[in-house]
Amino acid sequence: MEHSSGQDVASGAEPHADRATAIRSATRSDPAMASRHARQRWVSMIAGPIWVGVSVIVMRFWFRYRIADVKQTRAAYRRIRGESKGPLLICANHLTMVDSFLIAWALGSGLYWMFHPDELPWNTPERKNFGRTRLQRFLIFIAKCIPITRGGPREDVGEVLERVKYLVARGETACIFPEAGRSRTGRVDESAAAWGVGRIVGAVPGCRVLCVYIRGRGQVSWSDRPADGEVLDVSLACIEPKSDVRGVRRSRDLAGQIVRQLMRMEEEYFDARK
Amino acid sequence: MDRAEVMDRVVKILTPWVKDEAALAKVSMETNILEDLKVNSARLVDVVIAFEDDFDIEIADEDVDQVNTVGDAVNLIAGKL
Repeated sequence: MEHSSGQDVASGAEPHADRATAIRSATRSDPAMASRHARQRWVSMIAGPIWVGVSVIVMRFWFRYRIADVKQTRAAYRRIRGESKGPLLICANHLTMVDSFLIAWALGSGLYWMFHPDELPWNTPERKNFGRTRLQRFLIFIAKCIPITRGGPREDVGEVLERVKYLVARGETACIFPEAGRSRTGRVDESAAAWGVGRIVGAVPGCRVLCVYIRGRGQVSWSDRPADGEVLDVSLACIEPKSDVRGVRRSRDLAGQIVRQLMRMEEEYFDARK
Repeated sequence: MDRAEVMDRVVKILTPWVKDEAALAKVSMETNILEDLKVNSARLVDVVIAFEDDFDIEIADEDVDQVNTVGDAVNLIAGKL
């Protein structure tokens, strides 16, 4: 498992910015967002032990998934979290619709998340996949999800990005897939990389990015979920992207650094299996 | 530079990213860039950077949240010239 930390120490954000400014800026466009966020956070904390327990039972005993070297992966994550109380954004490759669950399970045991539901990463699932019915909307609400319509109205996408900026600046964690959708080629695709992740990193001073590469050993391409009994390999690399350019260009630059890190991790994954 | 001129240049810049050429043929200020012209949302950033380069302006991330239609892009750019 790969684990590197603190490759770059310069912040991805504008030099004059601080976290309080980032929080204020995120709430300025939607003052009700903070109370909406607090409400969902509390509900998900109360419901957390139930849905986390059910999810882990389903993954472990129903689908019989296994994370390879899980103890080392969790120890590496604890070490990364322990290195700094600063903002942390998790960015991962994306091959299946259950990646968020698998990543959370790889980073902490079910028991750990049941007792620390507030530390579970927030997610931004595609509304078309997870927000179709009232039941789905309820489940993703309690499962710390902020649905997004990819390619939808820019204001809506902007609202989600503002909320993720806000929660990351507050010290909560979110898991984002920089490619937006699942990798249609089965490999990390730089051309599919959205720049939203760069917007978040660029707006939150000192934001570290935990790159997670996760892949089932039998996973050839993208799918709804890994095959039953799949063993998943996970590697972690913590970076702090930085950029000297401004505006939209800066966001694209930062997002590109994250995606290229994931591509390097993928290359290492396949090299190790030759 | 008047809005008609900005519109012509915006359409020209958009062209390489457009997947629905029929929609491009009848483009108007109301044409939605993502839904009608089928520009890939992940590539919108490249379109915006092309606007910056072509018009020699700077566009903030938040400005992009206001851009849904060709007219939104034209108004945003015209406001910065």
